[in-house]
Amino acid sequence: MKKKFKMFGAAAVVTSLAFVAGCSGGGDDASGSGDGGGNESVSVVLKTLSSPYWKYVEAGAKAAGEELGVDVTVVGPSAESQVIEQVNMLEDQVSQSPGAIVVSPSQPDTVVPVLEQAAQTDLPILLIDSDADFEGKTTFIGTENFTAGQEGGKLLASMLEKGDKVALIAGALGNPATDDRIKGAKEALEAAGMVIVAEQPGDSDKTKAMSVMENILENNGDVKGVFAANDDMALGVLRAVEAKGLDTKVIGTDGTQEAVESIISGGLAGTIAQSPYNMGYQGVENALKAIKGETVEERIDSGIDIISAENAQEQLDFLKSISE
Amino acid sequence: MSEAVIQKEQAAEEKKSFKHFLSKFGALIGLIILVVVLTFMSDKFLTVNNVMNIARQSSINALLAIGMLLPILTAGIDLSVGSILAISIMTMGIVSVNMGMSPILGIIVCLAVGAGFGLLNGLLLTKLRLPHPFISTLGTMNIARGIALIITAAAPIAGFPFMIQYLGREFVGPIPVSFLLVIAVYIVFHIFLTRTQTGRHIYAIGGNKEAAHLSGINVDRVLIIVYTISGLMAGLAGLVMVGRVNSAFPLAGLSYELDAIAAVIIGGASFFGGVGTVWGTLIGAMIIAVLRNGLNLLNVSADFQMAVIGIVIIAAVYVDVLRQRNSKKN
Repeated sequence: MKKKFKMFGAAAVVTSLAFVAGCSGGGDDASGSGDGGGNESVSVVLKTLSSPYWKYVEAGAKAAGEELGVDVTVVGPSAESQVIEQVNMLEDQVSQSPGAIVVSPSQPDTVVPVLEQAAQTDLPILLIDSDADFEGKTTFIGTENFTAGQEGGKLLASMLEKGDKVALIAGALGNPATDDRIKGAKEALEAAGMVIVAEQPGDSDKTKAMSVMENILENNGDVKGVFAANDDMALGVLRAVEAKGLDTKVIGTDGTQEAVESIISGGLAGTIAQSPYNMGYQGVENALKAIKGETVEERIDSGIDIISAENAQEQLDFLKSISE
Repeated sequence: MSEAVIQKEQAAEEKKSFKHFLSKFGALIGLIILVVVLTFMSDKFLTVNNVMNIARQSSINALLAIGMLLPILTAGIDLSVGSILAISIMTMGIVSVNMGMSPILGIIVCLAVGAGFGLLNGLLLTKLRLPHPFISTLGTMNIARGIALIITAAAPIAGFPFMIQYLGREFVGPIPVSFLLVIAVYIVFHIFLTRTQTGRHIYAIGGNKEAAHLSGINVDRVLIIVYTISGLMAGLAGLVMVGRVNSAFPLAGLSYELDAIAAVIIGGASFFGGVGTVWGTLIGAMIIAVLRNGLNLLNVSADFQMAVIGIVIIAAVYVDVLRQRNSKKN
C-alpha cells in the first residue's frame, strides 16, 4: 500500500514537470518561429507578466526578436510584489549566459548586486521602464513617470475649471513608479489652480480603487475630476462614480486596451500611455546593438501618448494589432 | 513459537521498516527524482554555479521554514513571519543606515525586533487565550506590515554597511555564506529538538496538548518559546535578504509564510502536530528552491510554477493523509 502512495507522489511530481516542460517547449517554438540561423539571445526579466501593461512590453520584446532574428526569452514573477523572486529569475537568466540582459526592476536597488556580478563578464545590461542606480548599465529606456503624471494632470485640468475639486488615487505605498506619477499630476493640477481634496492609495487594484473612491465621494460628493496612477484603478474609480450617477472626469495611466475601450464608449476621460510596447521593442533592439558592439545612447526616451476621445480608436487598433 | 509465526513476524517487521524508511525518506526520494529529471532537461542545471545559486536562493525560505517547524510541531501556525521579516529589516535600516549607528547594533535590533514580535505572538496566544495561533499571528502579520510601512513612509532603504551584508552576499570558496548559516542553524535546531527537554516538550504538546499539560509540562512557557524562536528566525532570514539585495523594503517577505509552511509540510511534518523533523524541513525547502530554479532554467512561466508547487504541496500532504489513515487502520 505504502509504496503505491509514495509512487503516486513521485509520479505526480514527474508528470506535472513533464506537463509544464511540454508547455514551455511549445512556447519556445512559437516565439522562436521566423528566426534565422546562429541567433543572438536576449533575456528579458520584467516585474511580472500578469498584467496588461507588462504583456505589451513582452509583445514588443518578442516582436523585436522576430523582426531582428534574435532569440528572446521573456520572464517575470507572478506579481510585482514578488521582488526576491525577480532577483532569483534574473540570476537564473544570467547563469544561462545570454548575449544581453534587459531588466525592469520592481525595487531598483535589489537587482544591483546581481547586475554587478553579471557585468564582470562584460554582459550588456539594459534597463527599461524603471531605472536602477547601477553604473555598468548600457542604457535606460523609458519615460519619466513624473512626466506621465504631469501630462495626466494637465489633461485633467484642461477639462475642468479653476477651483474645481480633484482627487488622486495612488498605487501601493512605496511603489516608485506610481508615486512619481502622482507627484507629477499633483504639480500640474496645483499649477492649474485645482483643489486636491484627497490622495489615497488604491494599490493598483480595480476593486480597491473602487471602494477608495466610494469613501472619497462620501465626504466630497462634488469632486469634479480624478487622476489615477494606473488604468485598472481609473476603471475602478469610474465604476464608483457611475454608480452615483456623477459626471466626474477620470484620467488613468498606462493606456491599456480596457481603458481605451472605455474612453471610446464615453467612460474614462483619457489615459496617458507610456508605450510599454516601445520599451520592450527598443530594449531588444538596443540589446542587439550592444551585442554587436555598436554604440547605444545612454538614455532613450520611449515616448508618451496622450489618449482622449479624439485618438482612442486609433490607439485601440494599434493595441489590437500588437496583441495578436 | 512455530516457524510460521516467526516468519510472519519477521515479514511484518521488514514491511514495517520499509514503511518507516519510505515515510522518513519520501521527501528525499522526491528531491532526488527532481534533481535527476532536471539534470536531463537542462544542461545548465547541474553546474557548480547553478547549484550555488540554488543554495543561495533557498536560504531565506530555509531559515523561515525551520522557524515555522516549531509552531507546526505544536499543531499551531505562524502567519506573521513574512511581515516580521519586513519590520526587522526596516528597523535595522533605520538604525544602521538612516541614523548611521553601528552595524552590530543594527544586527542586534533586527534579531531583537524579530524575536520581540514572536514573543508578542506567544503572549497573545497564551495570555489573551486567543482560540488559535492562526488568529494571533494573522493579527501580528497585519500589525507588523503596517508598522513597517508607516515608520519608513513606505520608502526602501539601501546602502547597508558591509558587516550587515556579509551573511547574504559573501562566499567561502564557492559556497555562499548564507547556506553555511542555514546548515549551522539546522544543526542547532536538530540538537534543540532531539536532545533538550524543551525540544521534547514541543513534540509532546503537538502529540496531545492535554496529556502534555497533565504530565506537568508548562505548555504556555513552551509555546511562548516556540513563537519567539519563529520570530527570531524571521529576523535572521531578513538579515540574509538584506545582504542578498543590498536593500530593505517594507513589502519584503510578502506571502513568504506560505512558502515556509509549504516547505515544512512537503518535508513530512503533520499539520496535526507532533510529527516532523529538521532535516525533512530542509529537504522541503530544497524541493521548492530546486523546482523554482529548474523551472526558471526551462523558462517556464511564473504562473505555471505556482500551479506546479500547488500540486506538489497537495501530493505531499495527501501522502501524509494516507499515512495517518493507514496507521489508524493498523
